[in-house]
Amino acid sequence: MLDAFLLIVMQTVVLLATAPLMVGLIRKVKARLQCRRGASVVQPYADLIKLFRKQPVVSSTTSWIFTATPYILFASTLAAGLLVPVFISRTPLSFAGNIIALVYLLAVGTFFLMLAGLDAGSAFGGMGSSREAIVASLTEPAMMLSIFAIALTAGSTNLSTIVHKTALLEGIMTDPSPHLMAFAALVIVAIAETGRVPVDNPATHLELTMIHEAMILEYSGRYLALVEWAAGLKLLVFLTLIANVFAPWGIATSMESAALGVGLAAYLVKVSGLAVLIGILESMFAKLRLFRVTDLLGAAFILALLGLVFFYVLRG
Amino acid sequence: MIPSIGSQLVDLGSALLLLTCFAIVAQRRLSACVDLFALQSVFLALTATLVAFLTGIHHIYIAAALTIVIKAIVIPRILKKVIERLNVSRELVMHINVPASLLICGMLVMVAFLITQPIIPLGHLLTRDSLAIALAIVLIGFFTMIARQKAVTQMIAFLVMENGLFLGATAATYGMPLVVELGVFFDVLVAALIAGIYTNRLQDAFDSVDTAHLSELKE
Repeated sequence: MLDAFLLIVMQTVVLLATAPLMVGLIRKVKARLQCRRGASVVQPYADLIKLFRKQPVVSSTTSWIFTATPYILFASTLAAGLLVPVFISRTPLSFAGNIIALVYLLAVGTFFLMLAGLDAGSAFGGMGSSREAIVASLTEPAMMLSIFAIALTAGSTNLSTIVHKTALLEGIMTDPSPHLMAFAALVIVAIAETGRVPVDNPATHLELTMIHEAMILEYSGRYLALVEWAAGLKLLVFLTLIANVFAPWGIATSMESAALGVGLAAYLVKVSGLAVLIGILESMFAKLRLFRVTDLLGAAFILALLGLVFFYVLRG
Repeated sequence: MIPSIGSQLVDLGSALLLLTCFAIVAQRRLSACVDLFALQSVFLALTATLVAFLTGIHHIYIAAALTIVIKAIVIPRILKKVIERLNVSRELVMHINVPASLLICGMLVMVAFLITQPIIPLGHLLTRDSLAIALAIVLIGFFTMIARQKAVTQMIAFLVMENGLFLGATAATYGMPLVVELGVFFDVLVAALIAGIYTNRLQDAFDSVDTAHLSELKE
């Protein structure tokens, strides 16, 4: 009982503390690749502190949805993060839900963010929400299928069971070919869901291109801080999911302090590696036209489907 | 006995080949297609090297080295030269658009899996998936040749097909005799050269590399 409580606290602290670092790391990598020196990797922390101190401005035309959304978004994303094994294969909330709950907890946040974008009644917010709806509805099937492909090989939809089984395995992966397809699909989904470059540009405020930034244009002060923090957290949840499901190397399988230390160090190395990879990918590709995004997400869907087909036809 | 981690890596290599196939189908820019083909050839060479290491058959090493030299360096150079000389950089009009192509390719992979599924348990194969993936790559290459209009894309699709055949030969029979492989490499190189010259002639004659123009050749 005490163990479980301690684990919840530890994982919450690790997730909340690491999320802004990953955002800063990706920005740093991108700046370096553009031959700029770039802001320090801890800049997002300073931004968050500054925003929390500022007074928020709320439009008089908005309803309660506008002020409630940052809290709902933040809480649902954090709850999703507690369903993913981070540095130990046990998850604090594994009794409360499986991988499907994770997908829909993230979807709750997206849903409220879309409502909040519409709430203020500005043209940009509505446009951002409509675009986000396109992206979200197309990523969901691809994400579900790629997750099912993994769940089938592990024989469970519970993330801690999946990771625990893979971590104790001898070989490199349980099943390389379907997992590679699911991995490729999940990377595309992660890029689309977290608003990264081929789909959305996190550094733009140009009305023609922005999706996420358009939805949160009306937010300021502590509300903006919560939304930004939640966005960083969502990115971290995706990175954690990819790192630990496909490469659970070094993850702790028991509550001993030595194993936990190794697990935490391995976790930080893996997630930072993925963040650097995302920074490089963002620099390599130009943003896609909005109507080409469907092609990319369609490809993710086909790849995830193939992962399942591998399982059913060749292992059947 | 072959260690299971080795066969897992061969499976992983084959799956990477299939993944690059899908990227080639989804890619519109011709030069990016050439780069992806070169990448696919590198994956193929790595997979072949791994098979050579696991089975101890030495001439597959030679085939892998030739794959790197010819398919990952020489042929992409020739194709880049051809693209440079042409005034088209991307596939604009397609017979079948990208999402539909991807769906069809997905179905082709399923067909390949269903066909090979009864065969796989009969032989003593190194891996479970390589033969199925090799057939899938051949089918996707064949489909891309039909679905794309530009001569350059059709050439790449032909070479992708050849990669699929090579993977199949290495995975199913641990490579053909060296003489046959050398002959195949020479054929592929000559085919790429001839297709390159032919594409240039097409450009000169019609101001376009759309192979549909060839149906107009009448007495």
